[in-house]
Amino acid sequence: MNNRVFIFSLFLIIVFSGIFSNAQDKKIMYGNTPDSIFPYNNFQKAYKYHFIEPRIEFLGAGREKKAPTDLTEVRIGFLGPLENSPIVDLGKQMLNGSILAIEEANALGGYKGIPYKLMIHNDVGLWGAAANEVIQMDDEKVWAWLGSIDDIVSHVALRATLKCEIMMVCTGDPDPTFTETNIPWTIRVISDDRQSSYALANYIYRTMKHDRIAVIRTGARYGRVGVMEFLGVANRLGHPISMEERFAEMGETDFTMQLKNIKNEKPDAILIWGNAKETGLIVNQIREMGMNQPIYTSDRAVSDEFLKIAGDNANGIVTTCQYDPTADNPSLKKFQADYYKRFGMEPNVFAAHAFDGMNLIIKAIEKAGLNRVLIRDLLTDRETFQHYKGVTGEIILDASWNDVGDIFMAKVENGKFVFFPAAQMKERGHSTRMVGY
Amino acid sequence: MKTNLILTIFIITVFLITGTSSFGFTKSGNQTNAKGEGNIPKYGNWKNFTVADGLPGNKAYAVRVDGDRVLVGTHEGLAVYEDDKWTTYTTEDGIAHNGIIAIDVSELTGDVWLGTMGGLTRWSGGVFESFTQLNSGMPNNLIYSVVCDGKDVWIATGGGAGKYDTYSKEWDIFTEQNAPMHEPWTYSVCAGDNKVWIAAWGGGVIEYNNKTKHFRDYVDPDGNMEIDLFPDDGVVHDITTAVSWSNGILWVATYFGLSRYDGVHWKGYFDHDSGLASNFINFVRAVGDYAYLCTDQGLSVTDGESWVTYVRNENNHDGKVIITTGEQKSEKKLSPSISHNFVIGVDVKDDVIWVATSYGLSRGERIN
Repeated sequence: MNNRVFIFSLFLIIVFSGIFSNAQDKKIMYGNTPDSIFPYNNFQKAYKYHFIEPRIEFLGAGREKKAPTDLTEVRIGFLGPLENSPIVDLGKQMLNGSILAIEEANALGGYKGIPYKLMIHNDVGLWGAAANEVIQMDDEKVWAWLGSIDDIVSHVALRATLKCEIMMVCTGDPDPTFTETNIPWTIRVISDDRQSSYALANYIYRTMKHDRIAVIRTGARYGRVGVMEFLGVANRLGHPISMEERFAEMGETDFTMQLKNIKNEKPDAILIWGNAKETGLIVNQIREMGMNQPIYTSDRAVSDEFLKIAGDNANGIVTTCQYDPTADNPSLKKFQADYYKRFGMEPNVFAAHAFDGMNLIIKAIEKAGLNRVLIRDLLTDRETFQHYKGVTGEIILDASWNDVGDIFMAKVENGKFVFFPAAQMKERGHSTRMVGY
Repeated sequence: MKTNLILTIFIITVFLITGTSSFGFTKSGNQTNAKGEGNIPKYGNWKNFTVADGLPGNKAYAVRVDGDRVLVGTHEGLAVYEDDKWTTYTTEDGIAHNGIIAIDVSELTGDVWLGTMGGLTRWSGGVFESFTQLNSGMPNNLIYSVVCDGKDVWIATGGGAGKYDTYSKEWDIFTEQNAPMHEPWTYSVCAGDNKVWIAAWGGGVIEYNNKTKHFRDYVDPDGNMEIDLFPDDGVVHDITTAVSWSNGILWVATYFGLSRYDGVHWKGYFDHDSGLASNFINFVRAVGDYAYLCTDQGLSVTDGESWVTYVRNENNHDGKVIITTGEQKSEKKLSPSISHNFVIGVDVKDDVIWVATSYGLSRGERIN
């Protein structure tokens, strides 16, 4: 009898020690990715997992450099689509958010009495051009910089900023691969398309119980990479996409050919991944062709432009948004009022996140002093600004310095977006107790 | 009898639990050591150079031995070491930009080619001539890598790879439009065996055959950025940072580990399963049978089986040499050590090694 009690007790200890050892998994969950949708996880443990603590640090020199004593302005860089780009409207909002943060900081005395100055650079959306802009920022001796939205621009700029060793705070590019590069010179303070895809997939397949989804997306990298995560999640949840159609990034206004194919496929619902204008036009043409399926879209539909183009057809559309602009948040209300007063327009998601991102840069400069590496150290330490409460909500960075804070669903009702929290996928994060860790 | 039964169930349960937790693809820790660490060149008698010794800047991006002189690319210009003296050249002398990231010397002409942050510069006959996007067909002004291959000069940029024919004076540009790249973000280029290899950020390695003019690509077979599913199944990650070829072996550096390709088989190396100083590899140069790996935590030298790693202590000029063969590891003190552990560039000629770091340049002599 005593033997049995002993053996049973030993059994319980071993079993529960295994359970307790999983407690740290929550802390290190990469990209909020549950086991069930982690790549290959249902079939094969990977030999090596990346982006999990202990993560990479910048171990180069530079912390020893003294701050200059003869400055008349403290320069911060800005890179965004301001000319010759299909997303100029988004870039201008991002610039406005940055300007507002700079002006507020200067009204409070700047950096020890020295005013901040925004060094504004246009990204033209062409391959490689962003690299030259970052080099210019290095020549201008900026202390950190903010940008951009276009994923091509951001990737090219990221590699250049590594070479120049200038901290980059990204507030607009949702490309999931942007922070999957192991470069220790950036943080992203906006939810990416991985988070949007998880939220959309959860809503579409688990809440709405759809099975067969057809996708129509822009042929630009934003569409290709953005929808990639959704396709992966759909597969792993057991609902492979039944059809994927593409359209041109600019200039295409008639989507009949793609929509005919989708109509013949008779999907349960349709997902559109593109900019606001094209998304609005596609919604209209879907309804004109007599298709009554529920429509879901990528987050760029959250705009006045989309509502104006789609009109009544917008009602019922569901998408995601990286923050809740209707949240009962006093700092958000103040930001919205100040922004309207300064620029005569409502801020959008890119303005709000740029305001938060620029404030993080300013706070880091004021805390670290004028040293690029020390500014980087503060922004990336996941302590100083972890859980920072900005106008967009709480910023939480995972081990790849990607924002995994809350994301929201947005549904059009009576011509307006109504926001509500996205349901979380509740499974435990993938275990790191395997070879390589 | 019942006790035995319970004991048996218990043992099976424990076996299943422990077995499950270690389930997956594991790699053997014991590796063969056909060559042995004794053959790997080892360096000592380190001498370090900083601004105080004549360098224009402490951050050294690249180093190249050119006959009796040494060329060093820094953030503040080109430094040339000759007859124990440093001479600096900058934009005032005609260089495209003071940030000099890459250097190569043409075996054909002796010309020096500088990849800078603002264009490509040729130093020939004492004259600097610069190529930019505005005055030539170059893909981008930020040149991450340059290599001379006969009459051709290849560059890697964030806007694509470029090939400059010094005879016809024409550029060929290779991007996702005409080569199997996912994106045209290229960061390194090397040449050998009548082929050129390009490290394509997000696209693995692109191979160009000079004879057939055809491309082929090598990518991480698992197709996911957050994992390496199987060891030794291909390049360890699609984010590649440097390539170098020597004696039939292609070495591929990434910020996630190292890969070695012998033309048939791939082998992957990480810091947890080899003597590699760190998975974050800035640069690789292959010389003979050995790869010299510039990481953010020291310099590693390997033949693919054994490893010699040089690191510096945090608080003084000394450091250590770590020798790894299979699971066997030994350490020796080094006094003085390399200039800084964040190593960005390296070159080796005969029995002398030059190491460019985040804080200064180091020169070592072979001691075995």
